[in-house]
Amino acid sequence: MSDNTRATGYLPAWLYLALVALVTTLGIAIAMALRPAFANSVLEFLHLQATPQAARNSFYAVRVAPLFENHCISCHGERRQKAALRLDSYAFALRGGRHGTVIRAGDIKHSELMERITLPPSDDRAMPPEGKTPLSPDEIKVIRLWIGAGASPSIKVAAIKGAPRLVRDVAIPNFDLAQAMRQRATLAAEVDRLSRRYPGLLSYQSRNSADMELDASSRGAAFGDADLKAFAPVTSRLVRIDLSGTGITDASASLLAAMPALKALRLANTKTGDNLVAALVPLKSLKSLTETGTGATQASLASLRARGVTIYGDGDAK
Amino acid sequence: MIPSPFLDQCRLQADTRRQFLGWGMGGLGAMFLNSALAAPAKPGASALQIKRDPTTPLAPLPPPFAPKARRVIYLHTGGSPSQLELFDYKPELIKYNGKDCPEALLKGKRFAFITGVPKLMGAMYPFHRSGKSGAWMSDRLPHLEKHVDDLCIINSMRTDQFNHAPAQLLVQTGDPRIGHASLGSWVTYGLGSQNQNLPGYIVMISSSSTTANAGKPLWGSGFLPSVYQGVQCRAAGEPVLYLDNPKGVSRAQRREVLDAVDEINRGTFRQLGNPETVARIAQYEMAYRMQLEASDAMDITREPPQVLARYGAEPGKTSYANNCLVARRLAERGVRFIQLYHWGWDSHGTPVDQGLNVGLVDCCHATDQATAALLTDLKSKGLLEDTLVVWGGEFGRTPMQENRGGQEMKYIGRDHHPAAFSMWLAGAGIKGGMTHGATDDLGYDVVRDPVEVRDLHATMLYLLGFDYRSFSYPYQGLDQKLTGVKPARIVSDLLA
Repeated sequence: MSDNTRATGYLPAWLYLALVALVTTLGIAIAMALRPAFANSVLEFLHLQATPQAARNSFYAVRVAPLFENHCISCHGERRQKAALRLDSYAFALRGGRHGTVIRAGDIKHSELMERITLPPSDDRAMPPEGKTPLSPDEIKVIRLWIGAGASPSIKVAAIKGAPRLVRDVAIPNFDLAQAMRQRATLAAEVDRLSRRYPGLLSYQSRNSADMELDASSRGAAFGDADLKAFAPVTSRLVRIDLSGTGITDASASLLAAMPALKALRLANTKTGDNLVAALVPLKSLKSLTETGTGATQASLASLRARGVTIYGDGDAK
Repeated sequence: MIPSPFLDQCRLQADTRRQFLGWGMGGLGAMFLNSALAAPAKPGASALQIKRDPTTPLAPLPPPFAPKARRVIYLHTGGSPSQLELFDYKPELIKYNGKDCPEALLKGKRFAFITGVPKLMGAMYPFHRSGKSGAWMSDRLPHLEKHVDDLCIINSMRTDQFNHAPAQLLVQTGDPRIGHASLGSWVTYGLGSQNQNLPGYIVMISSSSTTANAGKPLWGSGFLPSVYQGVQCRAAGEPVLYLDNPKGVSRAQRREVLDAVDEINRGTFRQLGNPETVARIAQYEMAYRMQLEASDAMDITREPPQVLARYGAEPGKTSYANNCLVARRLAERGVRFIQLYHWGWDSHGTPVDQGLNVGLVDCCHATDQATAALLTDLKSKGLLEDTLVVWGGEFGRTPMQENRGGQEMKYIGRDHHPAAFSMWLAGAGIKGGMTHGATDDLGYDVVRDPVEVRDLHATMLYLLGFDYRSFSYPYQGLDQKLTGVKPARIVSDLLA
């Protein structure tokens, strides 16, 4: 038997491989034609199409993404992808899931996502499923307006009129603990000395800052101008001072006037008056002053008020 | 030592390696008794330290980040006032007054007492816009109305409890079951107290006869050390029962007794190492110091007559008005968390004192003037700037008239309604003169900006300088949080 006859039962290797490639490509092509979401992911994978990115200040990023985040991504996100759907990025959301796209730009009626979130919670197809918090009418309106406006990744917040304003979470202030500790270290010796001499009066405003508060109100009249002067070395860091009911007088005016960081000052029931109030006017950080039971008059307080300082007290009564 | 499985268990639960190494032997020597009247804080345990000293559990601690609020006054209106008679104005509901409640609102819903098809009922009292902010209020709270521009009224509160005790526990402890730490306990645990001669967390109740549905667990410390529980003070007589020395016992003799008791307690602590023993020693010592300061703080006869008149306070009586005045005196003295309870807002319409037409009017009358006077005082003394005032009950009341047992009732009332209710906040870090959230036209469901109880708690903690996500206490294998395990959020719209 020659080699030629032996080969008759088999395809040549090149043809076999070509056929496999053809069938695979056809399959992929059909799948791509039937499932635009799949097509997008293939094109993106092959770098034939850019992955759509939402602009940072877009309506999507500011209004829509937080809603998906709150209501959807526990099942349609990075960790779980029920029905192969992810809603944790603009690209994923537009791509859709196992059963096709869920968002059709500009077509609210045929966007499955719209249909699902507006079904009554008892419906089997309702999203989020029964037991989870449904989207509020305002939240649904936000999504409807966005899809209606073309489900764009870039349209600006202001460009979609009538979108209800949704409440957003508050960011907890970031802090640099190491920096705060370095700042604390520069005054540590003084702070230590003062807390020995005046136990309990001085405290850091928070666990992550070097800003300090002085509360001498528990000392009463025994705490006078000389005592306040002892705190001169730490004035640069004092943000809040409570001298209510202490024995301080206008003699402390110049000391208080040299506190650049001071935000709140309480002088209730002290023998202070207009001279001290006048000294406070240049303090740029000062936000509030309590002057109940002091000699400060309305006229002198007016200049502080004009600067935007909130005045608590009975100045009006005098 | 008497062998006891309970004590053994306490010891096993209490001991940690760190405690064992840290507290060592005899380190507790002269820990408390060296000062008859402690300074506001001991030098060694000053607020500059973050480390918790178990022997001074109430020493002031700075919060994790800069706070807006330094103390809280919580006015709990137990029984739950009708939001539809006070803050949530629903003209459509008035239009459908007396009509059958639509089927859609009843389907699949469960009520505490309503059965069958109840009638819709509009507000019993006229509403009007008030203050510069133009917030809607009824005519029932004329004194509070003068402060409306300082209030942040939330008309979109929601809860998931529709019976008093669990709902009260939810607003006060973050969980409907008994055993969780109350708001005040969390706050004093996190911040200590500014005044070491008074409890950091004081509870006052308007009436000596009516008690809370959920009882004392409302101000319990739950899984937190018991030193952080609320101390209930009385408006008449001794502020705390048996605080004064018995007749014929001098302060010096009291000291001797305490020294002996402390000696025994220290011995117990050495044997068992239970931190609860430390709490007990600390509480004896605080009671001793309180003998001097508490009587003064609670004594409203020291207030001028015009102030008493402004609150409607009458010394010697047990009343909400007296408690409001005391609350202000406590706030001035650096008490961290002041909790008032006023019961009687449960307007079902069953007995006359639970009618919207009688009981609610009485409750408004008994509280309105004093609440307003408290706000006035806090404001003029500059305390409102860093005091957070919270007012509210545990749930709302139905837009339908109650028809207990399907019957028409003798007095007019509304049933429990967890789906929507109103509260207000004022003071530290709160945006005044605003109304937050909205219900639908019938006042049945929240349609805009819902605020869950845990959102309120997250917001309160934020104002006090805490992140609700990280402020936790390890118990039963879980880092317990006030806001629980469901997602909460800080309600940014309420913040100034």
